[in-house]
Amino acid sequence: MDHSNIKPPKFFHRFFRWFCDPAIAEDIEGDLMEMFHRDAETASAGKARFRFARNTVKLFRPGIIRRFSQPSFTPSSPMFRNYLITSVRSLMRSKGFSTINIIGLAVGLATFSLISLYVYHELSFDRYHKNADRIVRIVENIKTENETLYQSVSSPPMGPRLLKDFPEIESYVRFQNWSLLGQRNGVSFYERDSYIVDSTVFDVFSFELLKGDKKTALRDPFSIVLTETMAKKYFGNEEPLGQSLKMDYDNYTVTGVMADVPANSHFRFSNLISFSTWSRNNKYAEDDMWFWNGFHTYLLLRDAKSADAVRSKMQAFIEKNIGKGKMYYEDLPLQPLTSIYMAEQRTWENGTRGSMDNIYILSIIAIFILLIACFNYINLATARASRRLKEVGMRKSLGALRRMLVMQFLGESTIVAFIAGVVAVALVWLSLPAFRTLVESELSFSALPDPMVIITAAIILILTIGLVAGTYPAIIISRFQPVQIFRPSSKGIYSHNTFRKILVTTQFVISIALVAGTLLIYDQLALVRNQDLGFNKNAMLLLPTNGDSAIIRHLDAVKQELMQVPGVKSVTGSASVPGQSLSNLYTEIEMLDGKMSPTNINYNFVDHDFLVAYDIKIIAGRNFLREARADDTTAYLINETAVRDFGWTNEQALGKKVRSRYQGRIVGVIKDFNYSSLHAKVEPLMIGFTNHAGRLSIRIDENDLQGSINRVQRKWTELLPHLPFDYSFLDVDFDRQYKADQQLGKTAGVFTGLAIFIGCLGLLGLTSFVVERRTKEIGIRKVLGASVSSVVVLITKEFFWLIIIALAVATPVTWYLISQWEQNFTLQAVINPLRFLIAGLSVMIFASLTISILSLRAAAANPTKALRTE
Amino acid sequence: MSRHQLGEFEEIVMLTVGILYKEAYGVAIIDEMEKRLERKVSIGALQTALRRLEQKGYLTSEFGEATSVRGGKRKRYFRLTSLGSRVLRETQESRNELFKAIPRLAFPKQ
Repeated sequence: MDHSNIKPPKFFHRFFRWFCDPAIAEDIEGDLMEMFHRDAETASAGKARFRFARNTVKLFRPGIIRRFSQPSFTPSSPMFRNYLITSVRSLMRSKGFSTINIIGLAVGLATFSLISLYVYHELSFDRYHKNADRIVRIVENIKTENETLYQSVSSPPMGPRLLKDFPEIESYVRFQNWSLLGQRNGVSFYERDSYIVDSTVFDVFSFELLKGDKKTALRDPFSIVLTETMAKKYFGNEEPLGQSLKMDYDNYTVTGVMADVPANSHFRFSNLISFSTWSRNNKYAEDDMWFWNGFHTYLLLRDAKSADAVRSKMQAFIEKNIGKGKMYYEDLPLQPLTSIYMAEQRTWENGTRGSMDNIYILSIIAIFILLIACFNYINLATARASRRLKEVGMRKSLGALRRMLVMQFLGESTIVAFIAGVVAVALVWLSLPAFRTLVESELSFSALPDPMVIITAAIILILTIGLVAGTYPAIIISRFQPVQIFRPSSKGIYSHNTFRKILVTTQFVISIALVAGTLLIYDQLALVRNQDLGFNKNAMLLLPTNGDSAIIRHLDAVKQELMQVPGVKSVTGSASVPGQSLSNLYTEIEMLDGKMSPTNINYNFVDHDFLVAYDIKIIAGRNFLREARADDTTAYLINETAVRDFGWTNEQALGKKVRSRYQGRIVGVIKDFNYSSLHAKVEPLMIGFTNHAGRLSIRIDENDLQGSINRVQRKWTELLPHLPFDYSFLDVDFDRQYKADQQLGKTAGVFTGLAIFIGCLGLLGLTSFVVERRTKEIGIRKVLGASVSSVVVLITKEFFWLIIIALAVATPVTWYLISQWEQNFTLQAVINPLRFLIAGLSVMIFASLTISILSLRAAAANPTKALRTE
Repeated sequence: MSRHQLGEFEEIVMLTVGILYKEAYGVAIIDEMEKRLERKVSIGALQTALRRLEQKGYLTSEFGEATSVRGGKRKRYFRLTSLGSRVLRETQESRNELFKAIPRLAFPKQ
């Protein structure tokens, strides 16, 4: 048997070569081999292998192991200067590529910074309060006969009673939203964000009281504290303190002026009114109306950690104070103040809410864009690595360590990243106003941490980018052996094609996913917007009246006057309009067995013309009748969902007794209409009659919007000179509920464009490099008779396949993510496969345009020139 | 006493290098030690000792021929330096003196 074929275990052999000190490795390895072969001859091959392994392991000891800590090198400053100079020179030598790299990275960094700013702002909500971690909001889970209601509101006795029963609670503040008409010296505005509030508000929250005494400001009835903006609006440069301001029908004394509520607050107000203004006449309501949920109550805990202690005693509290009726509190959870903005929405929320989904989506986009920019750098740097071959060879021959070269090239990428960072700051500066409009947020810098933190973060970001973008090229370039310069055929230098292809494909995947995702988001939004809501929301003008006595007393006359205006099609008054919150009232309804059953149900109160004006269909029974005077105080309408919920047929519903604001019977069943957003299902609804119109809805001529509005305004100021003509459009108001979604669509659209732009920049660089390398090939092909188009195809087809692969990867991922996102809606758009095709095609068009421009130039060039370049 | 201290294993390695004279390379040293002393010698221990002794200047080495059994790797032959031989001799003498100093009575009867 020939033993020379037996090889020692590969792993241990390599392990030995790796750890052994090179100065002594040769003879020891020889010894090992000699012993191995002898063992193989005298004993078995297995034994020989085993002994070889054992010997190797035994050699792994100090004295044999090489020194891993390489000789420390402290580059002298001339060396550093040399690195810097060569880096700058190489950047200058290829201005085009440097520009592409810098612009790409700068746009990426700018986008990243803007989105970070936005994300930080969104996450900073309510954190500016000194006591932020100790403030909680009390919310309710109410159990009724047929459902559980999750409300953000609470009732007036809860705050005081909780304070009394729980030693852990230090204080409470109750807010109730009032919408008042402020009037002074002919200036009048609706102050929709007025709140009555307990006098403790300035102790609990860190709102800044600029003028007035925080102990007494909100003590007496009819005291009002204005924000600076509101004070300016009514008092101009006068001193508002001590002056009187008429709100609706009452005169209030200004007892304080406070700074405007910061933009990053989950609700904002224009003024605060003393709680006693309301409570002095409502002692019973304040003490005992446990189910009048018209307030937002905030508690200040003594200790941030005691929330759990309060929670654990809550059931006992409910039992002791409120008890269990047919409708009862299942639980009274506590929401930390800082979590309210991002928390799942409950009913009756005050202010606006953010969306964690959007934060995630935008963050991912930001990182993607940065990645695309980094890939550009990696691609271009490795593609052009051969340009640096001579330099690297020279440095290595003169004794440069590989580590020094890696440092040099990392330094180079960091320089690029740094320049890009400076450009990015300028870009952010320029685009900030546009970005603010885009995300419809003030993005105040005051929410940001102090400048040192930002600067540190920026430096870390730039270094990270330098590292991410530079590491791979640095390793590749520094790996060159000097000998390779003379053997340029060696594939070691040009063989990183596969890696580059992977990076380019990844860029395509991201681009296609972003384009397809944006298209699909728009599909969903269009579906929601164009969905038949069950009522007509077009060309409907909304005018608040705030229950003005003139209008209420003469509602029919006012409506008739407005109907005379050319362009006006119908006029109706109602307590609320679709898209706005409705009142949820305690109601007793007659069931099939004839018993009255208690429940809570949504109400709107409207006049005779509401259903007609809004195009809401009646499917059983009748509308309110003008002729039947009794209807005004006895008739109710009910929607289909409610009928279904109670287990009736439409006919059975008619005539059922209802006891709520007034006692009466159901006279009609209306077809379901979406009175709130498509984020929620249609819920049961009762419609009662009222002359007390909080809002007028005026349907005007779609073809002459502006003219009609002008004429209505003229009539309005003639009829009701004391009421501001403060109109809005129903469709705009209604669609505002999808504001967060629309913003997402818009923002995603813009950033998708940026991502494609950066990706194309990289492609441009890469192609121009490929073209440059193949100048001769193209020249020869043309000499031999190739056409311009065949040359273009030659260069383009490589990318074509990459896009196909990218499309295949991007489609399922995007499909899945978008279908997840659509779960936020009750109605989901069908995901259209065509969108992916469009995304793939558009990316392909952009890419091939980019490539074609360059390859066309190369293909059209005179081949003699190309072949003469030597 | 001499400044030069030799461990027991080091001493044996040096003696074996001396015995083998011009044939003292890794495998041969191991074989010789195992044959004469009837004990297992690990290549790790031997190689560290050889390098340490070479560093101290007791041994010197040079490359020899390469053979195919050795995978084309050359042998390294070790030789005693004059310092090395002197240290060996000193060690032996100090041992002898110690040995002679033992009173005859202290040896148990055979």
